[in-house]
Amino acid sequence: MPDFFSSSHGPNGARVAVVAAGVVSPLGFGLAETLRSLHESKDCVSPVTTFVVDRCRCQTAGQVPDALLAEANQYQRRPERLHRVAQMMILALKEAMAQAGAFQPELTVMGTTSGGMTFGEQYYRGLEAKQPSSRPAPTLIANYTPQKPLMDAQQAFGIGAPCQIIANACASGTNAIGHAFNCVRSGRYQRVLTGGYDAISELVFVGFDSLQASTQERCRPFDSDRSGMVLGEGAAVLALENLEAAKRRGATILAEIIGYGISTDNFHLTQPDPSGSGPLQAMEGALKSAAILPGEIDYINAHGTATPFNDAAEGKAIARLFDGVPVSSTKGMMGHSLGAAGAIEAIISLLALQHQLLPPNINFRHGDEGVDLNIVANAAQTGSVRTVLSNSFGFGGTNASIILRSLAA
Amino acid sequence: MSVHIAGMGWVTPLGSGIDEVWNRLLNGESASAEFLSSPLGREYPVFRVPPSATAKAPAHPRLRRSSAISRFAVVAGLEALANANLKLDPEIAKRTALIFAVSNGGVIYTKRFYHEIVESGAQAASPLLFPETVFNAPASHLAAILGITGASYTLVGDGAVGTLALKMAEDLMASHTLDYCLVVGAEEADWLLCDAYRKWRLLRSAPPVQPFQQPPRGMILSEGAGAILLGRSGPVRIEKISAGTNFRKQREAREAVEKVFLELCQTLPDLIAASANGTFIDEAEHDAIRKHSPDARVYAVKEALGESVGASSLWQTIFAAQALISQRLPAFAGPPPLRSAVVSTCGLNQQVAGLRLRI
Repeated sequence: MPDFFSSSHGPNGARVAVVAAGVVSPLGFGLAETLRSLHESKDCVSPVTTFVVDRCRCQTAGQVPDALLAEANQYQRRPERLHRVAQMMILALKEAMAQAGAFQPELTVMGTTSGGMTFGEQYYRGLEAKQPSSRPAPTLIANYTPQKPLMDAQQAFGIGAPCQIIANACASGTNAIGHAFNCVRSGRYQRVLTGGYDAISELVFVGFDSLQASTQERCRPFDSDRSGMVLGEGAAVLALENLEAAKRRGATILAEIIGYGISTDNFHLTQPDPSGSGPLQAMEGALKSAAILPGEIDYINAHGTATPFNDAAEGKAIARLFDGVPVSSTKGMMGHSLGAAGAIEAIISLLALQHQLLPPNINFRHGDEGVDLNIVANAAQTGSVRTVLSNSFGFGGTNASIILRSLAA
Repeated sequence: MSVHIAGMGWVTPLGSGIDEVWNRLLNGESASAEFLSSPLGREYPVFRVPPSATAKAPAHPRLRRSSAISRFAVVAGLEALANANLKLDPEIAKRTALIFAVSNGGVIYTKRFYHEIVESGAQAASPLLFPETVFNAPASHLAAILGITGASYTLVGDGAVGTLALKMAEDLMASHTLDYCLVVGAEEADWLLCDAYRKWRLLRSAPPVQPFQQPPRGMILSEGAGAILLGRSGPVRIEKISAGTNFRKQREAREAVEKVFLELCQTLPDLIAASANGTFIDEAEHDAIRKHSPDARVYAVKEALGESVGASSLWQTIFAAQALISQRLPAFAGPPPLRSAVVSTCGLNQQVAGLRLRI
């Protein structure tokens, strides 16, 4: 058992409140629709329609419907310049800013892996004269860059905060939230906007397919017969604020973030150390940062991609550190949205705290032999949820864990 | 909290090694352009890293199939550690973070990977190439080679991303769990980028790069890496980093740059390391310098090294630090004492930041 602080020893630094949140994902537009999908254990994975996938093993993904994204166009004078993921960011930020009150961030820290990648694809196909785009080349070039969707969203709401865009592969969103948390906790910042975004693109979809990391059938996190992931997309935003400052201005406190752990597992560029040492180090780091014991965690939102390697390593690490804590991966319902995943899952964790909900791990039949995990199988459950740990791990051996807690806890 | 530059390293079109490149800059040398042919029939000038500059790259398995970015970054990163006389044993590595700044990323492998999809279909896509297209692949290789097991972040953005990475490093070092933070920025050149910047009307068709010339005639892309090891002590102190701001349109860059200068020039610097590169950036910086620090010596290192985007602001910072350490400047014989320098970094796609150094 690692050497943890006693939970009676508070961590140094300021307490960090989540004062607003917004989300767009295959589970729905906004917190209410997302909560409904979680309660209903909704499977939001569907056949891919935006590009040709007939030569791929996997042909499904969690997708955000384009028709509903059009609402974002009113925030941009030249809406044809907006990438889909910028539209997602605008709508997620709109929801958050509606709750945030007088929240002007001093810094924005967001995660993404590929920003407006499909504009880059259109540009290249245009060069090859395969499929000329209706958009002019300068528009595609200026708007495909990873930071641009965030710039568009900030400009839509008059936010001028400097932007740090973290591209730590699939851990980007959790890394962004974790770094934003540390910025406020250190006292160097009072208010930081954070989250993540990513949209499905052909290049990335085919990339995971080429690695045989994505599945031909259903995505079954932690199931012994799991055969891989499905991709997803979305955007999620959290407004973090110094707790005392938030209270002084009468902000609604949705939850606190109390811990963050990060580790780098140098085992392989695309595979985790099978021992689970990377995830273990990240989770231990988060617990130490929060100055709490493993027994104080009531629910774990796992990375749980449903790839054989990830779930084996993460499952081992969870089983080693925790004793019977309910665990689920929500990626079976919505797919893996890469740079957005950690941010969307932080919001799912927030909803779990607010509504005493254990989100479901759908498509689960039976777990790995010898790995003792308490999976929230197939249907949402109610439970006493005061403290939640959320994991994200990615290519490059990057591992991140954050801990959220109800203010009343 | 005080953050210092403890060590530096760079790989540039003028070679690698702090002293070698610095001496060439002092001698007034500029990189030579090589023309890249695109399959579409155009030729583009770029400043490339000479093969000799990466000859010191270690024979590590992680570099076997890696991109040029990774090799540049490893050589620059190792030089920064050596420059600080720091050996990263496992204990020190635990207390060292890595931040990698990049803009265009592994464009050569990304283009190859996607080209196969476009030409032959998804079934032709190579599983060997895809992992190297991911933005944090170079950081992963570097962390593996250095043995860094704690915090490692890849930051993406435009030409200001290196300064934003230094700001992030300063924030990270607010934690006493860290003694060092290695910030590395790297980029590789390719005809595809040249074609894109040309269509964006930012590229010049042939050298020379002429910063601050009106009208601006465009930039020339380059490649390489810069590495800065931040520590609690070192020869140059980072007095202030402005995380900066953003601008919506190119014509609004002036206001954004001025905001950064207002923050950094409250005490007047002796030197300004400008990001002027022959584009709209020049006018924005020119106006801010004239207004906020008219007497400072101004040097635009992109005239000699080109625009390497992700590596650029680290090159500028290394240039400024080296000027403060050596009390010398290219093109200025016997400059007055150089005590402080402002590094101004305006990117091409909406981000502006800057920092102030003091010796």
